[in-house]
Amino acid sequence: MASPAVVRTILRTPAALRPLLLRAPRAAYHEQHHDQATPYGDAERTILSHALAYVPAHGFTQEAITFGAKDAGYLDVSRNLFPKGTFDLVMYHLVTQRQGLKDRIQFPDETMGVGKKVRSLVIERLRANADAGVVWRWQEALGVMSLAENIPASLRELGLLSDEMWFLAGDTSVDGSWYTKRASLSGIYAATEVFQTTDQSTEFKDTEQFLDRRLEELRVTGSAVGNTMQWMGFQGGALMNMLRSKGVRI
Amino acid sequence: MASIASRTALAGPALPLKARITPLAFQLQARSRKSNGAKRTLASSAATPQDEAPPEHDSRPKKVLTKAQKQFLDSALRVNQAGELAATLIYTSQNPPIIKAHPHLRPLMKHMYDQEAGHFKTFNGLLAKHRIRPTAMYPVWYAASSLLGWSTGVMGREAAMACTEAVETEIGDHYNSQVRELLVWKKEAKDKGETLGPELEALLVDIRRIRDEELEHLDHAVEQDAKEANPYELLTGVIRAGCRGAIWVNTLWFLAAMHP
Repeated sequence: MASPAVVRTILRTPAALRPLLLRAPRAAYHEQHHDQATPYGDAERTILSHALAYVPAHGFTQEAITFGAKDAGYLDVSRNLFPKGTFDLVMYHLVTQRQGLKDRIQFPDETMGVGKKVRSLVIERLRANADAGVVWRWQEALGVMSLAENIPASLRELGLLSDEMWFLAGDTSVDGSWYTKRASLSGIYAATEVFQTTDQSTEFKDTEQFLDRRLEELRVTGSAVGNTMQWMGFQGGALMNMLRSKGVRI
Repeated sequence: MASIASRTALAGPALPLKARITPLAFQLQARSRKSNGAKRTLASSAATPQDEAPPEHDSRPKKVLTKAQKQFLDSALRVNQAGELAATLIYTSQNPPIIKAHPHLRPLMKHMYDQEAGHFKTFNGLLAKHRIRPTAMYPVWYAASSLLGWSTGVMGREAAMACTEAVETEIGDHYNSQVRELLVWKKEAKDKGETLGPELEALLVDIRRIRDEELEHLDHAVEQDAKEANPYELLTGVIRAGCRGAIWVNTLWFLAAMHP
């Protein structure tokens, strides 16, 4: 695992080029579990997974990465594999939790509605944060994610999580609502995650109620907009038909 | 038989005389020839018999697509879905004025609409199954194609058919280029000793079938006096340019082809 040749290769490559040492992911056409190829090589994955175990005690810091590298049998200096520092650790947690979501929760009950499934998925993902022990350190992670150079990657990851949740809930719409659904769920998930970092209730009951209120707001707004658009469509169609019945050639 | 042969020989035929047989004889020959596994001699992007019958057990490994190829497929299916959305909306909004003025066209319009709706359903299913993002300009295409359908419908039967003709010409070219690309991949895979895999083979069959149905609509439109439309050159020119522009917009990375 910690062969001298591997470490020498890592140390000899300039920091900026170390990502090129990673194996490029390859996948057949759109298998059902697409995007399973993580952008992490074996060394990175080992170090980061060990480092996550140190996060509850040390937070999302370079210390955690250093302890993780030592735990995995690498040298301290292996933390140079991660040019973005703690953000790499945060992203590793986000990516592995997103990809693990489908293994954590299944829906054997076919009668469950899409809305209920989305609620279960959000709660499960938040519980995963708790199970990994990172909830009380998550504000540090949010801080790191909000740095200017990290914002695009963070938003992209949030979008991918939202897409994953809608897919696992069984949503198959591919019209304009594809975008509105993902945007709204991203917002709700982000707000609920922030709320969870200050939630002291047992089993995060307050967080669940917060989520329920947000989902209810979304439902009410969505149906209000939808009904208004439908009413406008009916009015327009009725006007056209009335004019046609009067003989106007439209 | 001999007199027919001599008459046609005077007209300067390109085929040898022994090809001048009655239709029945031709059919019988063709059927016996098929059992010998004769190859087609014309090169075309239409399906060959070998393509239509998938091998029972293909032990060759499945070709692994490169990132660029996956992005091409994503983008192609996205554009196709947008195109079929536009087609269904054009027919929906053309229908009321056309049917009012020409009630006998109801079955034809219904037939063409049903085929377009089937295409739309196919591409919707493919996008949902492979988790491909639909085009971000969905509402824009919704409004634009409804407007196009309604305005050509109001202009009259010939104009509506000219619109169909123009759109179907561009769509036919578009699908042809996609089939060509997939066939290039197929050849590359075959050279390496791999196969495209059942999904891509099915996609190839689907796109060919859809292209053939679109060209059938083109033929119907021309039959219905599309060429008699009054500002024919202007109308078809504008619509064809609009279609090409729409397809081009859908390939812009920041609008619709952007990888999510």
